[in-house]
Formats: sequence, structure tokens, C-alpha cells
Amino acid sequence: MRVILTLVRKDIANFLRNRAAVSLTFFVPIALIYIFGWVFGLKQTDTGPTGIGLGVVNASANPAAEKFVDALRADSAFRVVTTFENPDHTRRPLTEADLRSLIHDGKFRYAVVIPEDVIRRDGIGLHLKIFSDPRNEIESKMVNGLLQKAIFSNVPELLGQSLQSRAREVLGNARFDQFNRGLAGAITTAFGGDPAQVQRDLESGGLGLKQVAKAAPDPTLRRLDTPAPAAKNGAGAAPAATAPAKPNAPEDFFSRLVKIDQEQVVGKDVRSPLATRLVGGWAIMFLLFAVSASSAAFFDEKSTGLFQRLLSAPVTRAQLLWSRFLYGIVLGLVQLSTLFLAGRVMYGIDVFGHLGNLLVVCAFAAAACTSFGMLVAALAPNAQAANGLSTFVVMVMSATGGAWYPMSFMPEFMQKIGKFTVVYWSMEGFAQVLWAGSTFGELLPILGVLAGITAGVMAIAVWRLNHKQMFE
Amino acid sequence: MLSLRSVTKRYGALTALDGVSLDIARGEFFGLLGPNGAGKSTLMSLAAGLRSPDAGALTVDEVVVSPADPAGRVALGLVPQSIALYEELSAEQNLRIFGELYGLRGALLRDRINEGLAAVQLAERRRDQVKNFSGGMQRRLNLIAALLHRPKLLLCDEPTVGVDPQSRNAIFDYLAQLNRDGLTIIYSTHYMEEATRLCSRIGIIDHGRIHALGTLDELLTRLPFEEEISFPATPETSPLAAQLAGDGVLLTADGRHRFQPRADFRLSAFYARAEALGLPPRLFTAARPTLEAVFLHLTGRNLRE
Repeated sequence: MRVILTLVRKDIANFLRNRAAVSLTFFVPIALIYIFGWVFGLKQTDTGPTGIGLGVVNASANPAAEKFVDALRADSAFRVVTTFENPDHTRRPLTEADLRSLIHDGKFRYAVVIPEDVIRRDGIGLHLKIFSDPRNEIESKMVNGLLQKAIFSNVPELLGQSLQSRAREVLGNARFDQFNRGLAGAITTAFGGDPAQVQRDLESGGLGLKQVAKAAPDPTLRRLDTPAPAAKNGAGAAPAATAPAKPNAPEDFFSRLVKIDQEQVVGKDVRSPLATRLVGGWAIMFLLFAVSASSAAFFDEKSTGLFQRLLSAPVTRAQLLWSRFLYGIVLGLVQLSTLFLAGRVMYGIDVFGHLGNLLVVCAFAAAACTSFGMLVAALAPNAQAANGLSTFVVMVMSATGGAWYPMSFMPEFMQKIGKFTVVYWSMEGFAQVLWAGSTFGELLPILGVLAGITAGVMAIAVWRLNHKQMFE
Repeated sequence: MLSLRSVTKRYGALTALDGVSLDIARGEFFGLLGPNGAGKSTLMSLAAGLRSPDAGALTVDEVVVSPADPAGRVALGLVPQSIALYEELSAEQNLRIFGELYGLRGALLRDRINEGLAAVQLAERRRDQVKNFSGGMQRRLNLIAALLHRPKLLLCDEPTVGVDPQSRNAIFDYLAQLNRDGLTIIYSTHYMEEATRLCSRIGIIDHGRIHALGTLDELLTRLPFEEEISFPATPETSPLAAQLAGDGVLLTADGRHRFQPRADFRLSAFYARAEALGLPPRLFTAARPTLEAVFLHLTGRNLRE
């Protein structure tokens, strides 16, 4: 062990004297995290997510509610789940009681409950319940916007029915019929059309606005029963529960009509959700670069005769390999800790509240990344090829593993590929600690996957390094 | 100290060492002389335990040396052909790491580092990064790094490649002193001057085989002539050069001919021909043959090929 520690100390001293390596490992990632933190916070130019898991419970008998569910199914942004699989593999309809545990277990991060009283009796508008694990702020806003879009685009009659019902209850049948006639008259006076047809439309919950569109082709007028432009891509459609209504914003008009009881199941106490995810992703990507560069140094040590010198001493090949592995873990642990500390300073990420578990995940992630770096050294024929190969693979793994943007922004097949990457599982580990505040026991499955990746990749790397006679 | 018995080492289709047998006694300064690709570095790497032979046996101090047995390498010190140092680290940091790998610690290691650096005149530069050293200084440090643990056998694989004359002399003097102090040294080189100057016994190696083994005088007795004659390679001397064909070997390099006569060729005949062609005696220099002549005689090719 003393020999391994001496070799690790040698690698650390060598690293610390190399200013370029230190800069690339610590300062560059911090600078980029800072810059991209701003970028991700201020600009959202995505084209929309796909395949977001969405649990749906429909307890309403209103036909429009079923139409709403169908609309959600038709939306590629969602992967709608309406059934629950029993232990005997039979299925039954999902219930509201299932949702919290399923979200907590990560089966999906969002769920909608359409209650029996979807048309409110106590006021104007609809009543929906949304459950969420909004570990990604952009994604959460998009989901809320997409739900509103689905309502306004596909079942606006629900809102009309609500208005009709409430008004009839308050005014009485005779006065309300008189009101509808008056309203239809006013609409047709202003925009043209048949007053009787407009009145029938109003009474069926259609708001009578179809007549407006036909009679008033002025492009500056927007139909109120079509989604607002901002709601199409989800940006700016803040849920009523998280953002105060702005009187002049069209979407806020609908927000007042649709009462959403929003409950965040996971990550309630996280102060900076976007930064929590961003720092984890970038940190793991730069760790991969750092350990890959470190492993590529194998070629330098071989070409300069250092392996000859080391192996002519009482040092075994196994000691050389394990010292490099241990060095990678130490380097990774320090790098990840430093970057999360920077995240704490810049964005207020709660690092110290979960320090123990965070360090455990960092150590396992560092081990997995180091094994990957050693595999690159084992597969590449020379240092240049190792650098090229590692750059390519790190970029691909970072993109598909979710380091740059939420995985739900990618096609589903790429999301599946991403789950085979070190980046994905490392980020899952960070999210479990920093988002969900998971206990060590709850982290074990993720740690197991990271340890499995490490063991498998190291086995291949060691076999290849010996096979290619790296040490001769 | 070092014993090789019918050692063979192959790299694919290439046989780098072909049944080599060799014994090197304690306290010897043994030179391994051969051109590039002759098998010198392979023999050194086997002796250092970096590789295993495909056939035969190799022992150092009667202990089998192999990659699988790190303890067997404690008696060895290897000076690799390349400068095997961490150039970002200081001279002292490098020596500390290599010393610790041999189990040296504390005051003992500190003393050994101080002694080593002083011996090669690098004490003043101990805290400088190796990358800021001249090639000669790096070579000297490369040597010291192999000596901290006081090995019984020092393997020097062409340790003066690219070194300025001053540093080369310093290295030679230091090695000679170490040898006088009892250290066994194996020194591989393709410079016959180095082998001639340093080594008490020389092995001539080519194509993976030891062609001759002995002291310089013993090797020279293998030549069929006692003197070789050199003269300028000019149009004026070309008729003489043409007449010498068949009477021995005529080498031409650097604007001069070197004539190595056959055993039965009398030098008086050479001078008679020169006189007949009107060439003055001042053009000709007779000299004792060198190791290069021995190498050429034994292998049929030049050391620098």
C-alpha cells in the first residue's frame, strides 16, 4: 500500500505543478458553470420536450374530461400513464392514492388528477390537481404550460360550462337566459353574426367566440379560446401556485379560470433547482475530461521510459494501475467537491446539508469516471488517439446523459441510450442527494450501478492494458 | 552477478535475443557494444525484470529476476535510455519519489539525495523543475535516480545519448568511481569510444547474438592484422585504392580510406605500391585497430549502420 500511496502522491505533485491541468480541472469548469448558469436562467430556446412521464387519474364523469385525457395522450410531450401494475402483473386504473409513492419512486415526475368536481361549484373555472417532482425548473414550467395548452386547445367547453353553471346558479334561469340573449346581442352587434346561434353556443359552454372569429378577421384579434403564444412552448406560463398573476397577461386570465392545486412532492426545500442540476452535469463532464487526460498520461510515461524506471523498482504493474485508479478518485473527489462548493457560493446549492452522502456519491462517480478514463487509455493506440477518443465519448455521454439539458428534450431512444452512461447515473446520484435528500440506504441502488460500471469497465481496461503490452 | 543461460526473446516474428549465454562477475564494468536494434535494450530490460524471456534463464545474484517478483529487483538499478524523469517536478521531488519506491525514508533518504545531487553537481538546482534543466543535467539526474537505493548491479542503457562532452565526462568519471567502489555495471552503447574508455570487458552483440566477449586486447587479437593504414580518399590515391581490392577490407568514411589488410598481406607490399604510384609516405598513417574494426570483422557491418 505504501508503494501505491507514493505513486499517488507523485501523480498529485505532478498534477499540481502543471498549471494548465489545474486550470482545466478547476477554473475552466467554474467559469463555464457560471456562464451557462446565466444562459440557462435567462434563455430558453428549446423546441419542446418529448416523452415526459405523466400519471393521469380521471375521476370525472364529464365527457370533456375524457377528451382532455385523450388530448394529453395525443401530445408527444407526454407519456401518459393511467394504469397501475399490480405485483401479479395485472393492471388496474391509477388512483390518486398511488401518485405520491410512484413519483417518489421516480416512475414519473408529474401527475394530473381530474377530480369528480372538475367544474368548480364554489367559483368560476376548473379544478385540477397536479403532483410533481420538479427537479428541473424548465421542465416544470413546460409541463404546466403544456397542460394549460391541452385544456384551452381541446376542452374550452369545460370553462364555458363552468361559467354557465355558476352564472345560472347566481342569477337564476330566467335572468341568466336574459343575460345570454343580451350578451349574444352585444356580440353580434359588435362583430356580426346570428344572435340565436351565438346564444346557443354560449349555452353549450362554447363562449360564443366562434362567431367572433368568422365575423372579425382582423389579424390583431386573437381568439380567446386558443392558447396564448407563450403557452405553446411553455415558456412564461407559470403555474398559479408559483407565480403571482399579472392582470394584463392573457395566460393569467386562464390561470384564474383554472384553479390548480399544485403539490411539489420532492425537492421542496431546494433553493436553486436549475443550478443544482447544472453544476452536477458540468462537474461530471469535466471530471471525465480530467481523468481521461490523466489516463492518457500513461502513454507519456511509457514513451519517456518512466514505466521502465518504475517497474525496475520493487513496483508491480498492478500497483501502477491501482495507484492511477486511486489518484483518479482523489482527483475526482476534490474536483467535484470544489465545483459543488462553487455552486454553493454562486447559486446557493445546499451542499453542507447533505455533505456526507454527497461525498459518497462523488467518490463513486469519480471511481466510475476514472475507470472510463483507463478504458480509453486501454483502447487507444497512442496519446493523440486517446485524447480524440475521450473528447468524443465524453461529449456524447454528457449530451445523452443529461449533463447539458434535460433528457426529456431528446428523442426517447436517446433517452434510453443515456441511461447506459456514467453521466446519467452520477447525476441521478447528485439529484437524489441534493434534490430528494435521500438517505444512504436510498442511495444504494444508484451507488450499486456506479460500482458495477466501475468494476466492469476496470476489468476490461486492465485486461486490455496487459494485452496491449502497455508496460513493456 | 548476472547470469544468462540460452536466453531467447521474441517480439512476434522478430527474434530480439537468440539463445544468449553470458556471465558477468561481481565488480565488473561490462560493455555491451552493438548498433541500434542489435538486442542491447532487450537484454537490459530482461536483466531489469521488465520482461520475461521466452526461453532460457536469467539470474541476478543467483535470484531469478522477473516482472512477477518485485522483491528480486531491489538489487538492481536501471538507467533507461530515455530521460525517465517527471519534468514538472523538481530534481529533489523526483529523487524523493524514486527513493521511496525502494523503501527509503526520512533522514536516510534525505542524505542519499544530498549525496547524489552533490556527486553530479546538481545540489544548487535541487528545487528547479527538471524541464528547466539542460540535456546533460537531466542525464546526470537520470543516473542518480537509479543509485539512491545502492544497487549491487547498475544497468545503463545508452545513458549518454545527446549529452554534451562536459556532462558525458562527468558521467564517465562518476561511473568509473562507482565501479572502483565495487558496483557492478553493465553499460550498453553503440559508441566504441565509450566501451573502450570505460569497460573492463566487452560483449559484441548483433542480431540478438553475442558475437565476441572479452577485454579490449582479447577482442583485438581476433583481428587478422595488427595495424590498419589510413590515407586521404582523393583522385590522386584512387589508383592505389583500386589495387588494394582483394588484399583486405577498404573502408571509406569522412574523406579517408582505412585499409585493414588480410592476415597474409605484408604491409611492405602496400608501401611499395604507393611508392610506385608516386604517392609520398606522409599521406599514410598506420594505427592500432579499434573496436569498430573488430565489430566490422565479426559482423560484416559498421557500428553506425
